Amino acid sequence: MHLGAEPDVGKNQRKTRASEIWRTFENLITVCEEEKIDLLFIAGDLFHRQPLLRELKEVDHLFGTLSKTRVVLIAGNHDYIKSNSYYRTFEWSPNVTMLDSDSVEYVEFEHLDTAVYGLSYHERENTEPVYEKIRIHDSCRHHILLAHGGDEKHFPFRKAVMQQMGFDYIALGHIHKPGALIPDYMIYSGALEPIDKNDIGKHGYVKGELTNEGCRTTFVPFAKREYIHLELEIEEHMTGFEVRKKIQSEIEANGTQNIYRVVLEGFKEPEIVFDFGGVDVYGNITEIEDNTKPAYDFYHLLQKNRGNLLGKYIESFGDASPDTIEYDALCEGVQALMETSGSRT
Amino acid sequence: MKLLELNLKNFGKFHNKKLAFGDGIQLIYGENESGKSTIHTFIRSMLFGMERGRGRAAGSDEFSKYEPWENGNYYSGEMKIECEEKVFCLQRNFDKYSKSASLICETDGEVLSVHHQMTRGSKGRQDQESDDLGILLDGLTAASYENTLCIGQLLAGTNQELSDELKNYAMNYYVTGDSDIDFTSAKESLLQKKKKLEKESKGLLEEKQKKREEIAHESSYIWRDMMHMDAEIDSLKKEYQRMEEKESDQDHAWQEVRKQRVTDMIRPKKWRIHPIEIIAIILIDILSFYFLPNPWKAYVTVPIVIAGIIYIWNRMKVSKAEAGKSAGKEDGSDEEESSREQIYWEYEKLLKMRMEKQIEYDNLQEKIRELDEMNPDYLETERKVQAVALALNRLEEVSKSMQTQLAAKLNQRVSEIVSVITDGKYDRLTVDETLQMHIYHEGRMISLNQVSRGTLEQIYFALRITAAEILYQEEYPIILDDTFAFYDEDRLRNTLRWLSDSGKQVLLFTCHKREAQIMNEMGIPYDRISLSND
Repeated sequence: MHLGAEPDVGKNQRKTRASEIWRTFENLITVCEEEKIDLLFIAGDLFHRQPLLRELKEVDHLFGTLSKTRVVLIAGNHDYIKSNSYYRTFEWSPNVTMLDSDSVEYVEFEHLDTAVYGLSYHERENTEPVYEKIRIHDSCRHHILLAHGGDEKHFPFRKAVMQQMGFDYIALGHIHKPGALIPDYMIYSGALEPIDKNDIGKHGYVKGELTNEGCRTTFVPFAKREYIHLELEIEEHMTGFEVRKKIQSEIEANGTQNIYRVVLEGFKEPEIVFDFGGVDVYGNITEIEDNTKPAYDFYHLLQKNRGNLLGKYIESFGDASPDTIEYDALCEGVQALMETSGSRT
Repeated sequence: MKLLELNLKNFGKFHNKKLAFGDGIQLIYGENESGKSTIHTFIRSMLFGMERGRGRAAGSDEFSKYEPWENGNYYSGEMKIECEEKVFCLQRNFDKYSKSASLICETDGEVLSVHHQMTRGSKGRQDQESDDLGILLDGLTAASYENTLCIGQLLAGTNQELSDELKNYAMNYYVTGDSDIDFTSAKESLLQKKKKLEKESKGLLEEKQKKREEIAHESSYIWRDMMHMDAEIDSLKKEYQRMEEKESDQDHAWQEVRKQRVTDMIRPKKWRIHPIEIIAIILIDILSFYFLPNPWKAYVTVPIVIAGIIYIWNRMKVSKAEAGKSAGKEDGSDEEESSREQIYWEYEKLLKMRMEKQIEYDNLQEKIRELDEMNPDYLETERKVQAVALALNRLEEVSKSMQTQLAAKLNQRVSEIVSVITDGKYDRLTVDETLQMHIYHEGRMISLNQVSRGTLEQIYFALRITAAEILYQEEYPIILDDTFAFYDEDRLRNTLRWLSDSGKQVLLFTCHKREAQIMNEMGIPYDRISLSND
């Protein structure tokens, strides 16, 4: 969930974005109530930082409004249970269970014949592969694991090992981008709302149905906004005006509610300097990155200028590949030489 | 490369004018307005095409200047050149409707491609279209043609300006190997860019710093709150302890008092005097009344009764006071107890608030740490700064190494030519690291400002000839446009002799007759081409 995060957005929207994350969380609770969901899992990082008491009360109050849904949650690396964390003392509503131990424990729901396993972070990082050592108790028919992390520093686990452990479903948290490690079985739901300008793509929750035949899941896009990396291929003949128009029309086509990082690729005429003033009409561009290279044909330039400074300069860079700083320096120098050449004659 | 023939089919004032050139010195004589510069422009336009100015500039550009006087839609020419022992025929139409160019190798009949736009590389990508003419010219561009092969006079008035212009030319040449490339301006442009980027990156840092300070400010407020709370918590704790101590002290004192009166222990608490005490007193009275002999009876019994009454009286008085006291004491302790509870309650509340503040504070600290960690914008700009800095460095390095390479070659050759022309008066010309040019007269260094215009022109001439030699492997015709106006007789002789000996094809445009006279006198072979109508 990352409640309390203040993601980067276009101009003047940062504050509203923080509250938007709360609104989406509230909406999710409403969905749970309306669809009579049995179990709501939060696989860590409910909060972006250490929760304040009033924030916990707020969240618990929302959970408390659920008439049917039972909530199981764990603490992740962001809201890990510090020595002074309120998680330690907070009294949750009766329908909420927090697996707050730093070793794996489980809670049983007899009416669903299901046990939910999990543990909470007590440190920001933990390199122990604890998840792989879980032993399932046979008291219930169904077993579900809430796991947070998966990378080296956050309770690492191997997909293949986890698959053999006998769980019916493994709900994963930590990685913001939703994605299934094993379809219908082991899924990162991702953050409900994108919380960083690099959390691109759709965000939402995973809805699943667990029957005796197994688990079936669907991903439900739920976020109010999406971060989009708009990569635009600039063609040589395009003017600054055309580029601006193109950015705007692309944003309109992809939805003006979304937040954009625009990356310009390709080649532009060496003389052109793009001016992006006034391009952000919807206030939803976080950044425009101009990676266009001046359209020099170094091979032919070299042919023509072998022996003079320009030629030697190009030669001195050898075959710098376009991603290197050398290549950028090559472009800069050639541009400077070309633009100023002939000015003295 | 050698020029064989020009055919100005319709160009400027010329109509079907053919000029044929041979080897060696080609003296092209014409009075003023006879069309020398037209031929000049024609040669350049044939080789490199003609670019039209835009808008207003079009009115006075070369295109308009040399637009044929008659029949403007027919604006074209032909040129024959020899290159690597093959003869090529280059044709161009300059008029706007049928603008075109063709190149045919007359030796083997091959049709070659010509790019009919003036090119200078900025449109580099277009150059991928094949351009055989470009290959034939081996990198020679319109600008470098103007700057090296075409030798006119220095275009400045005063001697000072003249030597400055010569220095400029030389310096650029020395540093870049191509007088068309402007090393100083390029460097300046890069420096400006670097400055701008650095400012930008500083701005980003400052912005981050500002954000950091904001958070730090916020967290300092919270810190202060926390400190206040700590102080308050501390004082509440002390207060509470003090109260607790006082209470236990009092309890203690009270117990002491009780211990002193053993009788109090057996007496029921509600009673002020124990009934046994009264009975005992009455019993003693009665006994003393009965058992004592008569005379004593009255003396002893009466005092005992009185004593008993006084005792009871006293007891009653003490008990009453005590009762009052103890009642009073009980009220006070209730009050104290409730205020102690209140203090405890406040203390607890404060502790909770303190904890909330602590978490808020920690979260802000974490935010600061995160802020320190990542800043892709800043990194991006820093990268650009690095790129420009690298470009600057590299440019400097390359030009330094070129300078040393070129300087050696140039100094030698230029000295040679200057020495021939000046009859050995100036036998050496050097360029030092700071690009200061010096000439030597009998081993004595002379500043350029001190020599005559004629000599400056001769140095310029030598420099250009040398530049053309070093720059291009291919030997190009040298075009001299009234270059010798300031030469005296002797030096002109020397120069012409040198030119003839060099074996270069030289197109010598002049409006004077003295070059012809001298060459006739000296027996220097040359072809005379007259533009006049004679």
